[in-house]
Amino acid sequence: MREPTGRSEARGDLLLFAGCIALSLVALALPHNWATGVAGFFRSTIFRPLIALDTRAVQDRTARFRLGALEHRADSLALLVEGTTALRRENDNLRALDSLEARLVPAHVAAEVLHRPTSTDGRMLLLSAGRDRGVAPFDPVITADGLIGQIWSVDAHSSSALTWTDPDFRAAAVTADGRVRGILAPSPAVDVNRAVLELHGVALRDSLKMGTVVYTSGDGSAYPRGIVVGRITAVHNDDQGYERVYRVIPFANPGDVTHVLILTGAHDSTAAHGAPPR
Amino acid sequence: MTAIRTADRRRRSPRGARVRIALVIALLLLLEFYLRPSLIDGRGMPDFLILGLLLIAIRQSPGQAAVTGLVVGLLTDVLTPAHFGAGMLAHVIVGWGAATGRAIFFADNLLVNALLFFVGTWVRNAIVVLLSGASLSQLAVELLVWSPLQGIATAVAGVLLVLLLRDWLAIRIEA
Repeated sequence: MREPTGRSEARGDLLLFAGCIALSLVALALPHNWATGVAGFFRSTIFRPLIALDTRAVQDRTARFRLGALEHRADSLALLVEGTTALRRENDNLRALDSLEARLVPAHVAAEVLHRPTSTDGRMLLLSAGRDRGVAPFDPVITADGLIGQIWSVDAHSSSALTWTDPDFRAAAVTADGRVRGILAPSPAVDVNRAVLELHGVALRDSLKMGTVVYTSGDGSAYPRGIVVGRITAVHNDDQGYERVYRVIPFANPGDVTHVLILTGAHDSTAAHGAPPR
Repeated sequence: MTAIRTADRRRRSPRGARVRIALVIALLLLLEFYLRPSLIDGRGMPDFLILGLLLIAIRQSPGQAAVTGLVVGLLTDVLTPAHFGAGMLAHVIVGWGAATGRAIFFADNLLVNALLFFVGTWVRNAIVVLLSGASLSQLAVELLVWSPLQGIATAVAGVLLVLLLRDWLAIRIEA
């Protein structure tokens, strides 16, 4: 009598396993909109207490370990603002003489980054700000160091950001002098310590010096013009020999950031926080 | 004497065991979502969710362990939205594998437990990275550097937890 029971138990286990595998495959095959909808639903309902706990943990860590660094940064910024007051006044006067409107400063939302100790963490970041704070899909995400990526999906109280380490990331870029333009994409070659970007689409007649800083160009309106991205460190020709591909080390690393700024309503090509110098 | 026997019976009752396991899960969630992120963060840190899954899976039937894996995978997919469904598939396979493997290996050995935590973490990471469209070089770095590092960290954390909570988890450790 025992054998059939054991056999039916084994069959039940196998059915449960097959059902779970089937559900996982269905989740894998879900269209992007549906998948983000399902994830957003769970984030704002059942798993919301866990996200709130995680947010609190990040805030506590910042208060515990980074308070000194934040105070230093605030002091440095105060000095910087103090030094540029006269310049700003002069600029305002010049704009007034030319009957130009005041410079547009895009609104922003600060958010904590809720890292997970998983292998794909740096590619898509979970942020503690959502629709309730005015965040919308495709809003650029930056830090004081430079570009991180853009908002991929938003739910009521949190959002996820696609970072420059994701294979799907692309951004239109320009050098500081505006002479050379290209498209930034993550490099398929990976360093053990960090991922890097590649600047594609640069014609063979154009050459860039090592150390040149690259900014977003504002083309395509995905990112506003003037967000600093990184520095060129190496160059090689592509396989077909039609273009030069430059290796760019970004200034901001998504795997390390704890806080970001989300630029809300910055979908035109106006400068985000200072256009590259001309 | 009667009081001791009653307390012992209560500890061995299925309801008491369920309560203790629930408390261990609550402790692991607190470690994962508050204690670890409030102290240190970064790649290679121990993953208390996979640890919880493995600790539960080795006391469940393979089918139940697969369902537990699905729930844990859903949680990781919702919180790390790189590729929805990849975490679910990976955790289902790891959960089912751990429960099935219990019949093969002897789980009362501390070294075997550590190996289970290490392999479980490594396999989970491998499946997630494979399904998330990583390039070959990214896959190699992940499988040879970061996953072993996280596997070791998770195994060390798991062994400490098993040693501390062996009565609650009803695990007899061989001398």
